[in-house]
Amino acid sequence: MLENEEKIVEKAQNGDKSALAMIVNEYQDRIYHLGLSMLKQEQDAEDMLQETFMTLVEKIHQFKGNSSIYTWLYRIATNIALKKLKSKPRKYPHIPIDEPDFKKIHEEETKEEMEFDFEKVNNYKFRKILNDFLDELPPKYKTVFILRDLHDLSTRETANILNLTESNTKVRLFRARNYLKEKLEDLQKEELMV
Amino acid sequence: MSKKNKMFEKVCEYLGCDLDSEPCKELQHHLNECPQCEVFIDEIKNTVKLYKEADECEKTPKSVSKKLFATLDLDKPDQNSESKSEE
Repeated sequence: MLENEEKIVEKAQNGDKSALAMIVNEYQDRIYHLGLSMLKQEQDAEDMLQETFMTLVEKIHQFKGNSSIYTWLYRIATNIALKKLKSKPRKYPHIPIDEPDFKKIHEEETKEEMEFDFEKVNNYKFRKILNDFLDELPPKYKTVFILRDLHDLSTRETANILNLTESNTKVRLFRARNYLKEKLEDLQKEELMV
Repeated sequence: MSKKNKMFEKVCEYLGCDLDSEPCKELQHHLNECPQCEVFIDEIKNTVKLYKEADECEKTPKSVSKKLFATLDLDKPDQNSESKSEE
């Protein structure tokens, strides 16, 4: 967060270009990172970055200060990314994300705990698999997972950005996390069978 | 505080419950004797950790940033200070 952010935003709202530049400079990396997480392609992330800050410049006078400027920027960026995702043909068909099967979880008394090898994240192929699992999620779940778990935004901020209730945000996050966990579990089983 | 109690408090916080409320007490009782729940919570936690470690937080490439500032017709703040120091 910028030092004296409120004042800088006020200046930017009054047309101060150097104040605007400070905001862009401060948040460009986070927005570019969000673009890559959501859209995967560098060109798409770049387009999202440009559109987000063009909207900032055009509409900063509309910013009322009810949230922080970065929450506002995240909302603009997320909406742009979701529109782009909608307009693209899906790599994977929509998968239904249902309630986790709690009964199954409790019945699996003999189930061994999954092993997590964190060294594997250095392997390009494994990272690609993780990305593919994330891409299988419908955007409304994927977005919550990215904002909460990869960008460390709070439940309140995420709910605010996506125009959701906090409890709805929590439900979506839990379903996304559980889906990814199950995919990793299946992967581990497959690897053991090879 | 035991690992289970810590976990229980976190679950209650997550659920937004009062720690002394009936559902929380029931949950604590359950977690105290349910290894499957403990495994489940650990696996979810590790899944998130794995994704977090795999996530490459890339900085905006210089060329992309340059293009962005040019499109917005703005000067990069460090460029400003450079020009000021040159004056």
